[in-house]
Amino acid sequence: MKAPRAARFGVPLVLAGLVLVAGVLIPGFMSRANLTTILLHVSINGIIALGSTFVIITAGIDLSVGSLVGLAGVLTAATLTSGAVLRLLGPAGAAVAAGLVGIAAGAAVGLLNGGIVARLGVAPFIVTLATMTAARGAARLVTGGVPIGFPDPGDPLYAPKIAALDALHTVGGGRIPVPGLPTGFPVPALVMLALVAAGAFVLVRTRFGRHVYAVGGNEEASRLSGVAVGKVKLGTYAISGGCAGLAAVLLVGQLRSGGPDAGMLYELNAIAAAVIGGTSLFGGIGTAWGALTGALLIGVLNNALDLLGVQSFWQEIAKGVIILLAVLFDVWMKRADARRRARAGRV
Amino acid sequence: MLSAVTKRFPGVVALDGVDLAVHAGRVHALVGENGAGKSTLLKIVAGAYAADAGTLALDGVPRHFSAPREALSAGVTVIYQELSLVPQLSAEANIFLGMEPARHGVLDRRRAAAEARDALASLGADFDPATPAAELSIAEQQLVELARALARDARLIAMDEPTAALSHVETERLFAQIRRLCSRGIAVVFVSHRLEEIRRIADDVTVLRDGRRVFSGLAAQVDDAALIRHMVGRDVEYARQAPAAPVPGSPLLEVAGLSRGRGFARVSLVVRRGEIVGLAGLVGAGRTEVARCIAGADAYDAGTMTLAGAPYRPASPREAIARGVVYLPEDRKTQGLVLGMSVRENVTLATLPQFSPWGVVRPAAEREAAARQTGAVELRPPDIERETGTLSGGNQQKVVLAKWLLADADLLIFDEPTRGVDVAAKAELHHLIRTLADAGKAILVISSELPEVLALADRIVVMREGSVAGEMAGEGATAEAVLALALPASNAA
Repeated sequence: MKAPRAARFGVPLVLAGLVLVAGVLIPGFMSRANLTTILLHVSINGIIALGSTFVIITAGIDLSVGSLVGLAGVLTAATLTSGAVLRLLGPAGAAVAAGLVGIAAGAAVGLLNGGIVARLGVAPFIVTLATMTAARGAARLVTGGVPIGFPDPGDPLYAPKIAALDALHTVGGGRIPVPGLPTGFPVPALVMLALVAAGAFVLVRTRFGRHVYAVGGNEEASRLSGVAVGKVKLGTYAISGGCAGLAAVLLVGQLRSGGPDAGMLYELNAIAAAVIGGTSLFGGIGTAWGALTGALLIGVLNNALDLLGVQSFWQEIAKGVIILLAVLFDVWMKRADARRRARAGRV
Repeated sequence: MLSAVTKRFPGVVALDGVDLAVHAGRVHALVGENGAGKSTLLKIVAGAYAADAGTLALDGVPRHFSAPREALSAGVTVIYQELSLVPQLSAEANIFLGMEPARHGVLDRRRAAAEARDALASLGADFDPATPAAELSIAEQQLVELARALARDARLIAMDEPTAALSHVETERLFAQIRRLCSRGIAVVFVSHRLEEIRRIADDVTVLRDGRRVFSGLAAQVDDAALIRHMVGRDVEYARQAPAAPVPGSPLLEVAGLSRGRGFARVSLVVRRGEIVGLAGLVGAGRTEVARCIAGADAYDAGTMTLAGAPYRPASPREAIARGVVYLPEDRKTQGLVLGMSVRENVTLATLPQFSPWGVVRPAAEREAAARQTGAVELRPPDIERETGTLSGGNQQKVVLAKWLLADADLLIFDEPTRGVDVAAKAELHHLIRTLADAGKAILVISSELPEVLALADRIVVMREGSVAGEMAGEGATAEAVLALALPASNAA
């Protein structure tokens, strides 16, 4: 289903306007280094927002993704620095294994969320609120409350652990050399762009994507049309959890450490990005590109206010206002759409 | 009390210049088929709807109720079939809901309790006023509603099918209370499908048909046959869609002893290939419930089904569709279509695997199929990218039909296929349905519009209160005969 015109033109326009104004007013904003920094900062939220968009299009909500970043992150870091894994696979192998563990942990909790929502019919808000709380607790339990990462200098596995952390850092914090870009292009941003493109393909071109929109647009009509509503929901929560897991892996790579309190409130940033990008909380409407645009809008705003030296408290207020404006804009565009339709008449 | 009341809804005139005179101390029965306008009339009396034309007068004084609250304070109470009590609140709290006796905003509980007890006692109720409404029987809940009316000094009480869910004894008790209310000078409007009850309780009777008053007079002066004649005598008639060839005998679907909770019991019917079976009956007779079970949308408790000679027990619509059974629901907007999606996406929703090898939709194949099927049902305009919600009712129904044509089903179940559809589109849909039958499909049509059943069906199965009341050939069947089977027998009989 097409997004309303607000999402297709409105938000990208607002984003372009914001970039233009910031570029003119703020020295250094338009520098290549700054623009790639924005992309890097946006990538974690963008990836989580993409997963959330799938869930929200089915008229669901996933509050657990922030905690999942914490849980999947500590599991990733624990795998990465585990003596057994390092001895078995070596530093590079441990990095690959840790990445898979992080994504799998996220997807597994996502499947649990989806299973409870689809099979038991419990409201997604409640289910994911419960897993949000439990996952955060589990993350702290695993680590004893302290981040896992940099080894003590006296650690017998000091060198391989550092090597493994460095290996994952090539993904989480690495840069791909691009001619004309002195700092290179950040790998997480590349991952985000590739994922958004893949997500757009899934939503627009695949049967699963069509069913995601159908379930969100009218669940009963979809069921009566033979759509496997439960499996579709299960799939969206698994995608959402998997995206959170991947975001956690990138974050651990970037920071060389996995903390149990990482990802705090990320779920709300992701929902904000999705909504700003035109995804309707009532379901049936939303796009993968919208999640990217929404995340970029928040990122550009934060960056511009940073460069202007605005206090972070004001940045939060500005973000709140932007969210409200985005939703009001959406409502306003829908009304205009309805008026246009009423004039055109029904056939 | 009402004169020349008119109510229009988009596309339909629900009430067309209806007069109704209700007298103090008398019971006025209001009868008519499904959709005759009885409920709309009650809602105007209650102030829930505003009339587009006409006036309402109480004791000769013209009144205008713009909200139910105003009607209530003027002494007009309407008791709907779905009782409007708050289940968690006690009987007493329900009686005073919206008019709680209070001093400076603090509830006067003692006074409320005393008045509730008095009102209930005067109606012969013997339960504790502190009982939550949810724990009361339907009959007791009705007494609470009546007590509420009395507590508000009601002068007119209208009841919409109050006996539908009551046992014989409860009906008798309710009638006794209605007579007592009348003796106190209260006017009662009584809606019922049970002619026997109208005979026993009503002083006056008014028959509505297609939003018009077709009869009004003393109940004693009109017999049952005349009432039924007034109810069905139609201006609207549809051309009969006769089968192209005699229906062959091979049954496709056989249903035996199907039962589901309180919905329906021991329903048996057969649908053959090339045949249109009409499922007639009043709203609430269990027709849709049966159809949904056949289509796998709901589970049933007992009974067996056979499809093309093999056992058939669908656990989901998905399974039913895989076996070639499809259901076109009565409510297109909430069950049939994803209104925000394009026509193309709706048409291919049930058959997407055909166009998506490896899960990836092939746009060209999908567009071609959607264009072909919307052409077959003559969708206008033939724009498959149009948002479905912007289409008229008739065109939306064509989109639903196109979706299921694409599924190439063997049995198509149409639930109110032409509800909210204009007359020209109705005729088109009737023709399409007959064309499908002639092509060898088995068709089950549920319709509350008797002329539609008569125009379409080769055989008519009539349901009444959850059971099959009888069956007749479609050729030569009359509306009177169908309605006589569909109307429930009196509880008192």
